[in-house]
Amino acid sequence: MVEFQPGEERGKDGRRIIKVRKENLFETLKRLKSEGYIHLSLITGVDRKDYLEVVYHLHSLEKNEYISVKTVTYNGVVPSVTPLWKSADWEEREEYDLMGIKFEGHPNLKRLFLPENWVGHPLRKDYDLKNVQYINVDEDGEDYATFDQGDGW
Amino acid sequence: MKTGEPGIVTTTLEKALEWGRSNSLWPLTFGLACCAIEMMAIQASKVDISRFGSEIFRNSPRQSDLMIVSGTVTKKMAPRVKRLYDEMPYPKYVIAMGVCVIQGGPYVQGYSVVLGVDRVVPVDVYVPGCPPTPEALTYGIITLQKKIRGEAVR
Ligand code: SF4
Repeated sequence: MVEFQPGEERGKDGRRIIKVRKENLFETLKRLKSEGYIHLSLITGVDRKDYLEVVYHLHSLEKNEYISVKTVTYNGVVPSVTPLWKSADWEEREEYDLMGIKFEGHPNLKRLFLPENWVGHPLRKDYDLKNVQYINVDEDGEDYATFDQGDGW
Repeated sequence: MKTGEPGIVTTTLEKALEWGRSNSLWPLTFGLACCAIEMMAIQASKVDISRFGSEIFRNSPRQSDLMIVSGTVTKKMAPRVKRLYDEMPYPKYVIAMGVCVIQGGPYVQGYSVVLGVDRVVPVDVYVPGCPPTPEALTYGIITLQKKIRGEAVR
């Protein structure tokens, strides 16, 4: 297992990548936002099997420059950045939906795409693809997931 | 010799109905993914399907005879596809356009894609390709017309 080293490096395309521990994540992003990286363009997650990586892609409109901020979590919990960017709300809900990363302090951490009762988080490496799940619609137009096909199919 | 007198054409009622049906296939405006872009092109001037009687894309399933399922059918969309199909009046036909709709295509190992729309609605004509060209889809529509007229080799 590779130990996570905080620090700064350059990606293949010359982009700055800043690695921080998750305790310092919020302060780092706050500082970067005050330095002009005011646009949170994307939050992505990577499953490294031993741990989960969360990557924040920031954009500075003045410098026209993208940077990435990486952090890792071993227990699947990272602090939420919704106080800094309102747009982080749905990004973090998507992360939670597909990767199962919990964001501490998020106002409404529910699934974004999949129905509430879907089992598992499909972009995790340990997701069981053999257990096929189906989606049906109830009378109110709400989706629900089932393991058998149901009458909507 | 043209004399101006009206002639007589004899046919059976069934044949006349088939002829009418096959030359007035109105598709449902219904695009799900990238294939829909190619589907839109069949209505444009280059391969104008109005020539074959598919005059307009109807916006309501109740006025259309043909459902061109163009693009990836996700599991979330599948119950809705079924519902739209159920809302269409008989006689109704379905064309599966693109490999996604036929068997899952590039997403065959994904968790979210229906592996073939024929698990949800019955399909008459399959048009393979990723995406099929507008010409291929037009060929599919003509094949469907032949099938309606009972000429198609199945
Ligand atoms: S078959 Fe190809 S072009 Fe058509 S919807 Fe699927 S991926 Fe897109």
